[in-house]
Amino acid sequence: MIQPQTHLNVADNSGARELMCIRIIGASNRRYAHIGDVIVAVIKEAVPNMPLKRSEVVRAVIVRTRKELKRENGMIIRYDDNAAVVIDQEGNPKGTRIFGAIARELRQLNFTKIVSLAPEVL
Amino acid sequence: MSSSFLRILSSSAAALSRWKLHPAAAIGIGLPRYNRGFCSSSSSVEESSTPSSGKTELLNLEEVKKILNDVHADDIKVIPVPKHYDFADHMVIATGRSEWHVRNIAQALIYRVKQKQKGAKRMVLPNVEGQEVGKWIVIDSGNLVIHALDEKVRAYYNLEEIWSSPKTSSDLEQAPDLEKAFVKIRPKNNSKKRPQPKA
Repeated sequence: MIQPQTHLNVADNSGARELMCIRIIGASNRRYAHIGDVIVAVIKEAVPNMPLKRSEVVRAVIVRTRKELKRENGMIIRYDDNAAVVIDQEGNPKGTRIFGAIARELRQLNFTKIVSLAPEVL
Repeated sequence: MSSSFLRILSSSAAALSRWKLHPAAAIGIGLPRYNRGFCSSSSSVEESSTPSSGKTELLNLEEVKKILNDVHADDIKVIPVPKHYDFADHMVIATGRSEWHVRNIAQALIYRVKQKQKGAKRMVLPNVEGQEVGKWIVIDSGNLVIHALDEKVRAYYNLEEIWSSPKTSSDLEQAPDLEKAFVKIRPKNNSKKRPQPKA
């Protein structure tokens, strides 16, 4: 359940460290974003000497949420943090490596690029 | 195509005969039944035609290799995905010389999938990502994932490194680490050591 003003960790090596959601892309009055949704976010904290700087506005895909994700087969996945991966307008990830486990749903949602960079798929 | 058409004809004839055999079915019911028979026949045609092309896999490895060679993709690499991943069976990485070329590689593969399923009622197409911008196109056909990349993009993401070397090297690294973990090493205490320059 990511909504505007939610702070998220960054699960890649793009150079951002913390994001704040400012808008959910997809519908006009959507309240919450879940895994696989694209959000507009502000970089709140950045790693020094990297192309991405603080207070820059970027797009990001949510890859982990504390709110549980339910599967058809009854499986429930809940992560310890809210995390997102920074992408550009075309959907290519800005970073080259992704950290942590990622849900398989991202592949169905046309984020195969992110899944193929991820170290672990749940 | 002609064979499938024949099959439709024959099965519809079978449905017709079935209808004739069961006169109890009134005409009002018989007509939909006929239709249903036709529908089921078409689905059976689909089922019968797809196993030859492989229902589970839209593309197989040899085909992909051949197509990639035909469109002159550079530096084709086939990486078997480790068993515990269940992400896919194989990953194919190919480089295009320009964005246009990368897009062409993807188009050729999609065209092949379409040709294979020609005549089928419902075509199953692979999941294609990034086709508008020809920098990195992923064609995800279930157990085979094909990446067509621009040269710079390929160097940037370095997909081979993730999928080929670290798996084996990390496994190798893990083993000595475990061996080390069981060996007791006495921590050195330097706090009470006399400073060297005095002596």
